Amino acid sequence: MPELSVIGTSHKTAPVEVRERLALAPGQVAAVLAAMHAEKTFDEALVLSTCNRTEMYVVPRTGADPLACLLDHAARAKGAPPAADAGIFYRHDDAEAVDHLFRVAASLDSQIVGEHEILGQVKDAYRLAIEARTAGFLLNKLLHAAFRVGKRVRTETDLGRGSAGVPHAAVELARHIFSDLAGKTVLLVGAGQTAEAAARALLGCGADRLIVANRTLQRAEHLAADLARGPLGVCEIEDDGQAATCPEMVAQAGAEANAPQALVHRPKAEAIALDGLAEAVARADLVVSSTGSDEPVLTWAALAGPLARRDTPVLMIDIAVPRDVDERLGELASVYLYNIDDLDRLVERNLSRRRQEVPKAEAIVADEVEAFGRWLASRQVAPTIRLLQEHLAAIRQAQIERYGKRFCDADRGELEAFTRSMMGQVLHQPLSLLKDVAADASPGERLATVDLVRRLFGLDALDDDEP
Amino acid sequence: MADLLEIGNGFLPLLYLALLADYAATFFLRTRTHARSPWLIAVVAAHLALLAARAAHVGYPPVTNTREVLSVLALATAGVYAYLELANRDRRTGVFVVLLAFLFQYTSSMLLAGHVAEPAEISPAAVSVWTRLHVVPALVAYTALALAGVYGALYLLEHRGLRQHRFGVLFDRLPPLDRLGPMAWHAMLTGFVAMTLAIAVTPLLMGAGQGHEMTARVIGKMVAGSVAWVVYAAAVLGRWLGQWPASRTSAIAVVGFVVVMALLVVSGLLPN
Repeated sequence: MPELSVIGTSHKTAPVEVRERLALAPGQVAAVLAAMHAEKTFDEALVLSTCNRTEMYVVPRTGADPLACLLDHAARAKGAPPAADAGIFYRHDDAEAVDHLFRVAASLDSQIVGEHEILGQVKDAYRLAIEARTAGFLLNKLLHAAFRVGKRVRTETDLGRGSAGVPHAAVELARHIFSDLAGKTVLLVGAGQTAEAAARALLGCGADRLIVANRTLQRAEHLAADLARGPLGVCEIEDDGQAATCPEMVAQAGAEANAPQALVHRPKAEAIALDGLAEAVARADLVVSSTGSDEPVLTWAALAGPLARRDTPVLMIDIAVPRDVDERLGELASVYLYNIDDLDRLVERNLSRRRQEVPKAEAIVADEVEAFGRWLASRQVAPTIRLLQEHLAAIRQAQIERYGKRFCDADRGELEAFTRSMMGQVLHQPLSLLKDVAADASPGERLATVDLVRRLFGLDALDDDEP
Repeated sequence: MADLLEIGNGFLPLLYLALLADYAATFFLRTRTHARSPWLIAVVAAHLALLAARAAHVGYPPVTNTREVLSVLALATAGVYAYLELANRDRRTGVFVVLLAFLFQYTSSMLLAGHVAEPAEISPAAVSVWTRLHVVPALVAYTALALAGVYGALYLLEHRGLRQHRFGVLFDRLPPLDRLGPMAWHAMLTGFVAMTLAIAVTPLLMGAGQGHEMTARVIGKMVAGSVAWVVYAAAVLGRWLGQWPASRTSAIAVVGFVVVMALLVVSGLLPN
């Protein structure tokens, strides 16, 4: 029986319509874990469910099938059996399971390599397992090692640097012009999905005023209210301003009152019709446009004058095809104009650089998998018994050499016998305990006992294999 | 003491070079971009100590000729930047400023090599009160205009890169425009005010006698200073009254600094 297993499905093995049937909200994950804890199906369990994967990490107790268990509990939590072909699930055991988790935490297994969200999602999954009391000794060690891997990859490589989507490319460009988006005004022209996402991302990174312009005022008002209400894009306060990439998780973060990364501020929003564009552009610092118009809506005739008189910069992002913004406006001193091709080029550049960082990240993962494996091996009973016996034998021998000179040759034999007997008595109980857990205990209990004995007798200092 | 001054003079550019390497690593590797670094303060302190030791040895403040002024400029540039870095906790532009300081100090050390401990021939005019009233604001002006030139150049590089949609090496590494622009502008304004003071004192300086004579060098410096003043005055007025964009004032800051430095060097070569 393996000591650790992971089963699950991800964007690599299943299309979104299948994944969404298996995806579990945090409340449902908690219910699944509570049921597993009550039924004692596994020694330890953790469920990670995001928009791109649903996985379960288990320390098996009996011969229970993790896949059947996960599907059964998911069906109960969601109120309907998630019909799924078994072929879309993967399973990894022991070292491969560790490698898989570390790769997930390092965002190497993500749909967009280097995305920042996954580590937070793994932490949330761990928190739920702690609360449900299904995370034990092994999963505690494993998850902390996974967090370390995620942090190392993030700090020692450029895997997560630069925007990986068009909306976040808008934020990245804005950050090259404005050091702080607080106090800045975003003008959203039109109602395209990408433009809305870009506006959300900019608002999520600190812009606190929003103007929505649309052909119909009612539509503009509805959109302005929707954007102002949130959820906003989740923004990490870094130079590259990464934002949430998963709409479902953004909605989740916005819905939860204590979402750790949701921002507190709500922007002031107003709605205008298209005939008020010129005045709105004069007030805006960031313009995102995506209408369905065949002709430019931000024209040279209407805007050249006001923009030429500006002494503060304005970033204009034209996502529409055909373009909404007259390209001559980009020649004005205060205007920085980007179209969809420019943003795609920026994103592709960032993704290309991330791909170059993958070998470095994989080397970190391999290094940490090896370290964890060494630690796990050191927590086996037989090596621990041997090390314990050797350690105490060395102590015994050292004491004999230190005090033996005070005894005559005849008594030295007695000294040897005395110390041998005393060490045997001292070792009897811990060795019995270790042999018992080797024979009968679950992997988690065995690891915890071995770890305790090693710490009690200071064996780690002799071994130096702590992850 | 003379030997120590010579060693210090030779060692000082190496300290700036080591500092430059550290800031280059910060810039290109994007590490410790917002960390506090004690080395800049240490180098500034060492430089100050060397200048103080030399002043004590030769008996006058070391600002009597171009060679000495360049060293003081290096110190002032590094010192002002140290303050900016402490205030903003941003080391990303340090490589450019420290490069300038290194070039100033390297030039000074090369020109002074072998003569560090020898007092220069100075006239009574050089140590008069009026001279000090001129030299101090002039040094502040040179330093501030040097920084304005550096930050103006960085602003233009980033501005042009953004407008031309170039996502190259500098794209990820420079601070945003709304930091670089104000830094260049404030430095230029400070330099202009100090330059105005230095120029305003000049007639009093010449009228005081005590050896202040209209030599070719003095005439050259007056012409140079006047030309530079007009250029910067145009930039200041243009920004205030004409609301010139930051790109235009940054361009003037760069050009103005190059012109000022060239005129400083050339006027120093003229006969006294």
